[in-house]
Amino acid sequence: MAELWELPAEAIAAAVRGGEATAVEVVESCLGRLRRVDPLIGAYLVVLEDEARRRATAIDADRRAGRALGPLAGVPVALKDNLCLTGSQVTCASRILEGYVAPYTATAVERLIAAGAIPIGKTNLDEFAMGSSCENSAFFPTRNPWDLAMVPGGSSGGSAAAVAAGTAPLALGSDTGGSIRQPAALSGVVGVKPSYGRVSRYGLVAFASSLDQIGPLARNVRDAALLLGAIAGPDPHDATAAERPVDDYLAGIEGGVRGLRIGTVREVDTEGLAADVRRNWRGVCDTLSRLGAELVEVSVPALPAAIAIYYVVANSEASANLARFDGVRYGKRAAGQKDLLGLYLGSRSAGFGAEVKRRIMLGTFALSSGYYEAYYGRARGVLEAMRRQLADAFSRVDLLATPTSPTGAFALGEKVDDPLTMYLSDIFTVPANLAGLPGVAVPSGLDDRGLPLSLQLLARPFDESTALRAARAFEAATAWQAKPSFRGAPAGAAPD
Amino acid sequence: MARLRLTPEEETRFVAQLGRVVDYIDQLRDYPTAEATAQPVADREAADQAAPCLPREDFLRNAPEAMGAFLLVPAVKGAEGEGDDG
Repeated sequence: MAELWELPAEAIAAAVRGGEATAVEVVESCLGRLRRVDPLIGAYLVVLEDEARRRATAIDADRRAGRALGPLAGVPVALKDNLCLTGSQVTCASRILEGYVAPYTATAVERLIAAGAIPIGKTNLDEFAMGSSCENSAFFPTRNPWDLAMVPGGSSGGSAAAVAAGTAPLALGSDTGGSIRQPAALSGVVGVKPSYGRVSRYGLVAFASSLDQIGPLARNVRDAALLLGAIAGPDPHDATAAERPVDDYLAGIEGGVRGLRIGTVREVDTEGLAADVRRNWRGVCDTLSRLGAELVEVSVPALPAAIAIYYVVANSEASANLARFDGVRYGKRAAGQKDLLGLYLGSRSAGFGAEVKRRIMLGTFALSSGYYEAYYGRARGVLEAMRRQLADAFSRVDLLATPTSPTGAFALGEKVDDPLTMYLSDIFTVPANLAGLPGVAVPSGLDDRGLPLSLQLLARPFDESTALRAARAFEAATAWQAKPSFRGAPAGAAPD
Repeated sequence: MARLRLTPEEETRFVAQLGRVVDYIDQLRDYPTAEATAQPVADREAADQAAPCLPREDFLRNAPEAMGAFLLVPAVKGAEGEGDDG
């Protein structure tokens, strides 16, 4: 019989509601798995053992008392450590926020808890969500559960690895340029970047405010849909959270792709796909056709410029958002500074890591007088052209399909000194953020090294339902199982 | 503007790395642009009314240094003498 930690979130919640398992048993099962595998991968910055047990006990008491339980009753959820939970740390994997304790809870997290979910820990990330490998964490890198010499992707690498390794059936991440979908792809799990405005960002530490979204990571599409349904919707605390009703994402999810028009983007093939990724991609297209979708080639000529646009727009916003970390109100303060400017310079220089410094400098450069039009203005102009190209494509198709990442997982250390090459691993995920579209990453098989590859489906704004439905049909046709092998683990340490 | 103080080693490394990134970004000159239409970022405007915020004692719990009900900082103008760099 399957252990509780192996079950999908949907099955766990049903078992807890039905009394076949207690929330305490579920939490203990996940904590046991976590103790076994997390020393190998380093997905968690902190494990909330006592708090998780307390919440589980309360849920079990509610059930015994006959009170109604929520759709995520007893389901452990890992939270990226840039999301606030009252009384817990929020480091953003940065020295500058070491010791900071959240004085309030993010709306998305509050909704999860209200639905019966149990936060089990805070997961590692690239510092301030800036990176694609989880190596930019100030504390330690996270490793890929499929191969410990490989990165899990980033920036939500801890959340992706935590879910892939079976320590929690669900996790929350944040996605500014692919930070949910790319680690989901490299770690062999499902990741969803909701439409801009679908999920409140209240309580998410801001990176690039015109692009950031919170979203689910899960081991299957139905669980991702369940989680999205629990966190989506308007919020008085976030004026960018859209005032529109939330679909029932599970209602039509088994509807298949027959009759859907799915656009394949011509420019994808020119963007350096490895031979095994290209082979997998052709198989993906064949599968979607076989399932009854009509594949239509579309063109997004600005796609090759997506990374250049992104690094100007996102970093300009980041340089403004990160101005608040100056050693005055919270976070690290440099000792022995004689004046206020020295305090700012000393605190920021000691508190931020190399990638954050690079991005702040790039952003302030792009916004500076004399360069603003040439960089920020130009990037906004090409971005608008790309938005129109995407809107034109969506006038002819229901979904767009691309590989989620141009490669499978890469080795730890391989790209860390070459920021530009690292940035290019987000080439297919960035357009969804730039245009505010929802995107779903779903495993599509293995590369020649036995590491996961992934299909990305993009939909029109607020049409998450169609993307999830197609992802579910694809998943069912490929019979994918997220069972990483922990290759490279010392003899005797590799879990079953 | 970035309010960062770099070591000589960082400066050498970042100049090379950021030079490559800026060269890469320069490809945007080769792409056509379109006029951005005004898009409201917020779905609605927040009501202009006072509401409770984080209690001061909760806020100050994360402060690096406080004195009574206030944040404590060094002199606004002092040894570095750079003044406000904007």
